Amino acid sequence: MILASLPPRDAFFETVWYLITTYQQFFFTGIFYTIMLSVIGTVGGFIIAFFFTIVRTTKIDTLRQSKVSIFFTIVSQKFINIYITIFRGTPMMVQAMIFYYGLSRLQISFWTPLVAGFVVVTLNTTAYITEVLRSGINGVDHGQLEASRSLGFSHGQSMKLIVLPQAIRQSLPAIGNEFIINLKDTSVLSVIGVTELFRATQLATSPNYRTTEGFFIAAILYLSMTLIASLLVNKFEKTSLRKEAMV
Amino acid sequence: MSDVLLKVENLEKSFGDNLVLNRVSLDINKGEVVSIIGASGSGKTTLLRCLNLLEHPNSGSILYHNQNLMDPTIDINKHRMNMGMVFQSFNLFNHLNVIDNLILAPKKLLQKSHEETCKEAIDKLSLVGLEPFAYQSVQTLSGGQKQRVAIARALMMHPDIMLFDEPTSALDPEMVGDVLNVIKDVAKTGMTMVIVTHEMAFAKEISDRVVYMDQGEIIEIQPQDQLFISPKKERTKTFLSRFMNI
Repeated sequence: MILASLPPRDAFFETVWYLITTYQQFFFTGIFYTIMLSVIGTVGGFIIAFFFTIVRTTKIDTLRQSKVSIFFTIVSQKFINIYITIFRGTPMMVQAMIFYYGLSRLQISFWTPLVAGFVVVTLNTTAYITEVLRSGINGVDHGQLEASRSLGFSHGQSMKLIVLPQAIRQSLPAIGNEFIINLKDTSVLSVIGVTELFRATQLATSPNYRTTEGFFIAAILYLSMTLIASLLVNKFEKTSLRKEAMV
Repeated sequence: MSDVLLKVENLEKSFGDNLVLNRVSLDINKGEVVSIIGASGSGKTTLLRCLNLLEHPNSGSILYHNQNLMDPTIDINKHRMNMGMVFQSFNLFNHLNVIDNLILAPKKLLQKSHEETCKEAIDKLSLVGLEPFAYQSVQTLSGGQKQRVAIARALMMHPDIMLFDEPTSALDPEMVGDVLNVIKDVAKTGMTMVIVTHEMAFAKEISDRVVYMDQGEIIEIQPQDQLFISPKKERTKTFLSRFMNI
């Protein structure tokens, strides 16, 4: 049933139905971009965090490394620490404003709100997942790294083959949690005009001022996405654990 | 037996202000089994860990195949491939099953084929009596079984020296015998071995020479039959008498 005109103010559920049927395209677009931003942000953040973690945990060998190599290792490690402090210590909304409007001044043709949104979510998630991986690494017995080094593996090989696979497995719940947080937190990208679900809802409610009803729909949609994501994350963890048990 | 494989000279190592190794010198000959005994905190484990630079000495030299491992220009990883190490707490790779623990290093570091390494891994596992456990998770093994897997893993790299760091200290008493038997079997192959141990009877049985350490210094190095029966130094006598009384 499609309602031809806007229901009266006291007809809450009729209004909800009116908004859904009239602005379904807005909501679909919002859901699509929310999921895309969260998936790409989490996957991209994880990939960068993986390399950050290897650099961050590299031990400096003053005897064997060249001065240039030591210099770059120290600078990279300091950069990563400062990066994490800044991105975890400031709201993503502020980061979005600085990145989008800051880089807009350079007048780069592809620098749209959506591109800026992808970059900000990825960079923000990188900071959190790097910390998650660090605690995952702390959970892997240091003796395994020593055993790996004693066999002749380099530090990087030991991290890649021995430590990180275990650290990642231990960090899966926290990484899944980051994805769920991203589903909700991408809403702040509305400030730079990314049409994710929050912004899409704003657009759907602005002609009719039925804000409560509109965001009631948004809340249900966010809740559905986070619940489905939680189920998928749980299933993924269980599959991963089962595989581990079968080894 | 006179070919020196590993020559340690004036090794010093300190952790902060705490001097753990004080000008330690020691020769390990090819095919020789050397046990290092001493009280806890005497520096024996640190000495062993310095031999493959898991601990970096402050000064001194470690000559291995006539190359000084302390030389910053040498590739320590290449030398470590030839120096098998077995740890007190096994340190198996928990995310891999038994056979994958064995084949990982030869495949990745020696570029051997999967089939070749698997075949060899099964041989090594049968040597340590664990062939039926090849595809089991290492986390399901007992302490003694884990240690035997760790020995097999080290042997997979065909080392010319094996370093054992208190290989039975973390084991239940009933597991100790199996692990010691495997170490004896390895010794019979002519493998050069350095063993840090608290098992005096084992050290006496397996070693060609025994090193007694105390407070970061080597007090006495003797053939095993002499050190246990007629130690020359008073400190060795005191240590051994205390040990025998226990």
